[in-house]
Amino acid sequence: MDRSIKASRIQVAYHTDGEPLKALKETSFTLREGRSLGVVGESGSGKTSLALALMGLVNRPHQTAGELMLFGKSYLNLREVEKKTYRRSTMAMMFQNATEVLNPVMVIGSQLTERLIEKRLTSSRLAREEAERLLRLVGLEGWETDAYPHQLSGGMQQRVLLAMAIACNPRFLILDEPTSSLDGIARQEMIQIIKSLQKKLGFAMLVISHDLKLVGELTQEIMVMYGGRIVEKGLTDAVFEKPMHPYTCGFMNASVEMAPHKDLWGIPGEYKSEDTTAGCIFRDRCTQSLDCCQSETPALKGVSIEREVACHQDGLVSILKAESVSKEYQIGSRKISALNTVYMNLRHGETLALIGPSGSGKSTFAKIVAGFLMPDAGEIFYRGTPLTDNRFACREGGIQLVLQDPFSALSHRLTVEEAVGEPLRINNIASEEEIVSRIKETLKSLQLYSCDAFLQRYTSCLSGGQRQRVALARALVMRPKVLIADEITSMLDVSTQANVLRLLKQLQNNLGFALLLITHDLNLARKVSDQLIVMEDGKILEEGNATRILQNADQSRSAELLKAGLVDG
Amino acid sequence: MNPIFTKLKHFWLERTLPGKVALLVLLLLMCMAVFAPLLTTMPHHRSSGPALEPPGWPHIMGTDQLGIDLWAMMVHGARVSLAVGIGTALLAGFGGGLLGMVAGWKGGRIDGFIQRLIDVMLALPDLPSMIIIAAFFGSSLRNIIIVLALFSWSRPARILRAGTLSLKEQPYIKMAAYFGAGTGYILKKHLIPELFPLLIISMIRLASMAIVTEASLAFLGLGDPASRSWGLIIHHAVNFQGIYLTPFWKWWLMFPWLFITLLVTALALLGRDLEGMADPRIRQ
Repeated sequence: MDRSIKASRIQVAYHTDGEPLKALKETSFTLREGRSLGVVGESGSGKTSLALALMGLVNRPHQTAGELMLFGKSYLNLREVEKKTYRRSTMAMMFQNATEVLNPVMVIGSQLTERLIEKRLTSSRLAREEAERLLRLVGLEGWETDAYPHQLSGGMQQRVLLAMAIACNPRFLILDEPTSSLDGIARQEMIQIIKSLQKKLGFAMLVISHDLKLVGELTQEIMVMYGGRIVEKGLTDAVFEKPMHPYTCGFMNASVEMAPHKDLWGIPGEYKSEDTTAGCIFRDRCTQSLDCCQSETPALKGVSIEREVACHQDGLVSILKAESVSKEYQIGSRKISALNTVYMNLRHGETLALIGPSGSGKSTFAKIVAGFLMPDAGEIFYRGTPLTDNRFACREGGIQLVLQDPFSALSHRLTVEEAVGEPLRINNIASEEEIVSRIKETLKSLQLYSCDAFLQRYTSCLSGGQRQRVALARALVMRPKVLIADEITSMLDVSTQANVLRLLKQLQNNLGFALLLITHDLNLARKVSDQLIVMEDGKILEEGNATRILQNADQSRSAELLKAGLVDG
Repeated sequence: MNPIFTKLKHFWLERTLPGKVALLVLLLLMCMAVFAPLLTTMPHHRSSGPALEPPGWPHIMGTDQLGIDLWAMMVHGARVSLAVGIGTALLAGFGGGLLGMVAGWKGGRIDGFIQRLIDVMLALPDLPSMIIIAAFFGSSLRNIIIVLALFSWSRPARILRAGTLSLKEQPYIKMAAYFGAGTGYILKKHLIPELFPLLIISMIRLASMAIVTEASLAFLGLGDPASRSWGLIIHHAVNFQGIYLTPFWKWWLMFPWLFITLLVTALALLGRDLEGMADPRIRQ
């Protein structure tokens, strides 16, 4: 017997006055009994349409297409009557809005057992007991059978809805925002109840929500939807650890539940729902879109184990990659290993924080991946091209490095204008007027003066913080795709630090440049970074999602370091 | 206010008293050389009065054995001494300095080659070699400058190579190289401005060395016989039989000696004073 649910190419088009609106475009998935699948996405991404289409509740004039194989039986092509019977015995849906679903003039008990009696699953005599049993299953006490919906709290109503959904003992349960109107405690209880019910009853579950944390707790697999399409599909933990589609990444950054300590950043641009032309649906908001993204729709394809991404470039492009990099320093007759087979993968638009105690090889590693220093062994790739020299630092849109000490990084004999314009002038990048206007623009964006008097000031007359920003301006004036910043905030006061980092994040959000942030400030790393590498003695101690590592500092291999560095560690 | 004027004012105010005196003396000597024809009415290469006349009017410093006015010879001789000093300093200073900077910056084989060359130059006994070369190529003023420069570039080269080596590790220079700057750019924009004070000081030392050496060569009779340098005057005076038995040395030998000493001392004092420029820590 087939124990799986297979949805293939489900489509939904809503016919209103004008053009038909395609809310859901060719969505397929497979779900086994007893497992759960999460569907996340922003509002209007087609989540609820998918649920309605699966239930067969999309009525004319709206259209659905595709096929749903429900435990071996084709469901969507059944006649309406058969569909209804089959649906009642196998699947159920918990709707998101309790007040709309519950009948205000009927007591809870009768609402719960109404369908059971209709299907002759229980007699009117036993109905009350059955209703009480159901209510107890969802964590209520049972007396609620006699209550009217308005006499119950929101949380209780939501539980009643859950009880209704499981009343017919479904094998496939669809939950649409099961905890949307609940407070924290009720929400946690609800999650526990759903989990234990699933264990007890063994149904397959489709959880629709924009609450990533809820989906993370309830499901093993996840689908990320955008504009009626699945853009990423994979194991929930893996997707949370390292989202691959640019949209997923942006969505995670915009979710407060995912990274409570991080800054919130929405995805720039607006979702165009009426877009029906060919091409990637996310292209206008994507910072790495290519020409082909305009004309061809990317198909969902496997990019690694259990991971599918709908992107022409297989998700976020790896911009700077280091493989087993080693470096030794010869001091006298002693060889000191500064780096020992260190690796890194910095992706488009990502912030990677490199943390570790001083002397752990962070700065050496930064210099090596910037092409400033050559490794003894190992390879660096910039967009797939091996990096063997400083070639990419000499062009616009390449790699730029900001050194740790702003006092020695700028010549005290140069004026601000000469210092910032140096890379442009060395490489003959722009005309003289353009260079000056670019310098001014960059200085202004870093909250420095852009007046001529400041431009003509010698760098030796600047304060440490100003020097640091001038050094940063020298890197940003080249409009890099990768910025490697070594302790750039060490000299800045808190307000300037906040502004500089917000500026960098802003640029990152809009232009999609990747940032490798070397710091010993863990709180800062927690605030801004997506991925994290912890180094010690030239080796990588831990690597992965910054939020995961820093939130579970206790279990980390570098627990001591992390707990000492975090404010609330 | 004019920025150049302001800078000059700062430069003057930063000097110590000996430095200020040295600057004034140098300025005076230079004016002497530049305005030589205006400072004397007497010709400097032919007789204009009785021989061996003591200082008086119209020969304020007296005359030599041929009756040539000494003051006229002194002011015109200043041109030779200063030309030799400045010419040698510029040639050896810039040439040697550049070689040293390139050696320090490039390192490797170029550095090795230049270093060996410096070693050879340092090992060669310079005065004897110069005497031979001057005798061999003939003793025109130009040849003397070239020979002097050839034998003195190694010192600035060594100093600037060392300076470059320490600067090379400076992050801002490394950053410039990281941005793709070539040797030319780094030299022009960073190394030369940074090392210029060092270069100037070693050039001043070179100048005083060159002036003394030229005088020595002239004294030995190897100078340019057509150019009446201060050394040549001494040479003629010393070669005058029995000069110490007469009072002639009091003016004939004294005045050229006085001017050479003044010039060299002024250069030495200025050089010492300018050392502060090379090391900002002294400046503060």
